[in-house]
Amino acid sequence: MQLRDYIIRRLIVLPILIIGVSIVVFSLTRISGSPVGIYLSHEMSPAEVQQIEARYGLDKPLPVQYYAWAKGVLQGDLGWSGVAAAPVTEVFPNKLAATMELAFSAGFVAVSLGIWLGTFAGARRNRWPDHITRIVAVSGASLPLFWLGILLLIIFWANLGWAPIGRSDATIWASIAHPTGLYTVDALLAGNLKAFGDAVWHLALPALTLGYGATAIIARMMRSSLVEELQQDYVDAARAKGLPERLVLRRHARRNALIPTVTVIGLTFGFLLQGTITAEIIFRWPGLGRWMADSVLRGDQATIMTYVLFTSVLFLMVNLVVDVIYAHLDRRVVLGG
Amino acid sequence: MNRYLSRPIISSLCVGAVLTLTAFQPAFAQEVNNPGLLVHAADDEPTSLDPAQVEPGEGGETVILQVYDRLLDIGPDSPELIPSLALEVPTVDNGLISADGLTYTFKLREGVVFHDGTALTADDVKYSWDRAMEMDLPEGNAGILSDYIAATAVVDDFTFQATLNEASASFLNSVVIAMVASIVSQDAVKANGGVEASVPNTFMSGNAVGTGPYKFSVWNRNENLQLEVFDDYWGENASLDVRIEIGGDPDVRVLGLRAGEFDTIETDPSFIADLEGVDGVTIYQEGLLLEPLHIGMNLNIPEGALPPEDTIPVDFFHDARVRQAFNHAFDYDAFLNGPLAGYGDFNPHYIPIGIFGYDAASPTYNKQDKAKAEELFRAAGYWDDGFTISVITEEGNLFALMCLVMKDSLEGLNPKFRVNVLAVAESVFDDAHAQDPLEYAMWAKNADPAADPNAYLQAYVHPDGDWGQVHGFANGYADPEAIGAMIDAAAVELDVVKRAEMYAEISKVLYDEPMWLIGAQEGVVAAHRDWVQGFTMQPLWPRPGFKFALFDK
Repeated sequence: MQLRDYIIRRLIVLPILIIGVSIVVFSLTRISGSPVGIYLSHEMSPAEVQQIEARYGLDKPLPVQYYAWAKGVLQGDLGWSGVAAAPVTEVFPNKLAATMELAFSAGFVAVSLGIWLGTFAGARRNRWPDHITRIVAVSGASLPLFWLGILLLIIFWANLGWAPIGRSDATIWASIAHPTGLYTVDALLAGNLKAFGDAVWHLALPALTLGYGATAIIARMMRSSLVEELQQDYVDAARAKGLPERLVLRRHARRNALIPTVTVIGLTFGFLLQGTITAEIIFRWPGLGRWMADSVLRGDQATIMTYVLFTSVLFLMVNLVVDVIYAHLDRRVVLGG
Repeated sequence: MNRYLSRPIISSLCVGAVLTLTAFQPAFAQEVNNPGLLVHAADDEPTSLDPAQVEPGEGGETVILQVYDRLLDIGPDSPELIPSLALEVPTVDNGLISADGLTYTFKLREGVVFHDGTALTADDVKYSWDRAMEMDLPEGNAGILSDYIAATAVVDDFTFQATLNEASASFLNSVVIAMVASIVSQDAVKANGGVEASVPNTFMSGNAVGTGPYKFSVWNRNENLQLEVFDDYWGENASLDVRIEIGGDPDVRVLGLRAGEFDTIETDPSFIADLEGVDGVTIYQEGLLLEPLHIGMNLNIPEGALPPEDTIPVDFFHDARVRQAFNHAFDYDAFLNGPLAGYGDFNPHYIPIGIFGYDAASPTYNKQDKAKAEELFRAAGYWDDGFTISVITEEGNLFALMCLVMKDSLEGLNPKFRVNVLAVAESVFDDAHAQDPLEYAMWAKNADPAADPNAYLQAYVHPDGDWGQVHGFANGYADPEAIGAMIDAAAVELDVVKRAEMYAEISKVLYDEPMWLIGAQEGVVAAHRDWVQGFTMQPLWPRPGFKFALFDK
């Protein structure tokens, strides 16, 4: 099958999959109970509860509720978030941007620090720098995120006052436009270095906390790969021809050691997204994770459904893109087989 | 030294040194942080800023108190009513309450402007009250207006009149100062969706246009809400802008206060130990919240509705001896000195300490009396065979802890007694609690705060009241009509002395016929930086009882 035909076929199937996913998501959230609870107060009378149910169409049969919800989704109406006290559509993009910014920043910390530490340790195998790095890596992988976060807060926020929490200084935030919702990017687009500094400064602690665990994984992977590469014949050949050790490491061994590490980096992004929930709660980061945690605890089903639907669609899209890339890279892959 | 080696070693040493030196360092020097701005760390996110939509006791009321005014107010130091947008507190003596007690006249302050620049007139007052009653949103508190008011009228630009359905001793304290009676800008509402019955106004839910000392600035959901000083305020201008930091981990709020990042925080007694002795932090602990923590008893249990583990008959609580026995069995000291960390007191059924009608001489359940409880359970016939009962509550808060104290109390009293505490998510609890009839024998919550005893007695005691009907109080009172009549009579008694005597009498009767187990009346507890001046809390203002306009730093 031609690549183009394959993509068209997948694109045709995609909406059917999305509808299927939406039915599953809708049904699963309803199994956990009526979504009306988030809109109620404990003093409401049964008659008032009925009024609320009627307002949100929750007094109708489930298929009708699903139809109304799906119709709303197609029209860009994802329902009312009881937790955020606003339409989901209005809140979701900003929360998503905040979470993505945090996850990418943590990813940046993890990748840069992990590769550097892995290289540093791999090049000094079984010497004490390697042991120190191992301790760093093991602690990163084993320290609970919430504990590390609180510890950093106590030191750098509560005691030293060096790092802020939250996402921004409210005044600086208000001084620039936010076309993308990514504070760092918006600050650069506005040409406002003060805002950029504020964004980075607010990102520092949560990104470091979140990135530390991933740093450990990447560093260990990088170290192992590098150790393996350094034992290869081509490395001996490079040394034999008189290449300085620094260049052997940089130009040859490290480059090859990066290949398996990059695979791990890809997988690590999922870990980072998961970790944003804890990091956002601790650092008062106004992102999707904190919003979702509140929503799950309080039964805000409009928000939960949006989140699950979003991630499902994202997964389907990424899957499609990956399949296409594989097919493009490796012609032996049989499309549609 | 190898350059690959040197940088990380030095960096590691530096970081290690910093960590060692700072981990146990006391909080920062006590300079005033954020001058000109009060940063308040709040517990809850508002669900709405619209007075017509806000639920009593909910986070939105905190904001409404600052940005809107009402005709009357309560000052910071006493429960007495004081003028606000109205120039005088109506009384029969000053002629602003008619002789028959039905018509209330309010002379309005002139020169008051809303945040949108329009001038306040009596028409705005009528519009605000009529609007809330017409919308009649189930999540709001409009019912309190429509329950009392027969008609509203504009006499002239600065005179407003309300005519009641019947004479009431509690109208001013229950209705006029309630957040639902806040005065909104008529122009702002009309320009943004107007009024529609049973439909929330989206603009007003997320914005505020009042006459209060603060004007609404911005609300970043799940993050913060900002208020600016309103320079054209009719009274004394506030000194500080306000940023309300919303939600988050309670430990982080405590840390933020210690760090000086927050000026004031909402907290509860369980966190006070973390703040005691902290340099630069003051713990405020005066007065009591007007929200008694109670466990309800269902006298209207449908057949077959209880959880399968429960062995009690559906008429279990119809017997006053059983209700009394639960009240005697509860370990009040354990609850007060445990979860409440000593911050609280006990009030009689059902009038809290701190409002008119509370009678210190009324008998109060405040000591565990195992012998009396055993005697009553024996007399009711439940001692020998025991019983299993479930109590539903929200998880992870004082209500759940109160239930656990009750469980320990009863199971410690008799090993044949079994109490299952069903701690569930708030939304699940609210959904279950709103059922009529309720499918659980007991539930735990707190009362909605009010400034007048009638509000409590109507809601939590009257056999024909909101809860009385749902939970079948008439099935348990020896003479429900007599109790209802006593409450109704006190509600319309305009003689203050006589009225106080009537409430004392009702409290005595309710000691013998309790419909609740009141665990305690929680103490007012808050914490603030020392640099906050003029800090005060008034339990009659919506929780947390702050008026930011009174603070300075």
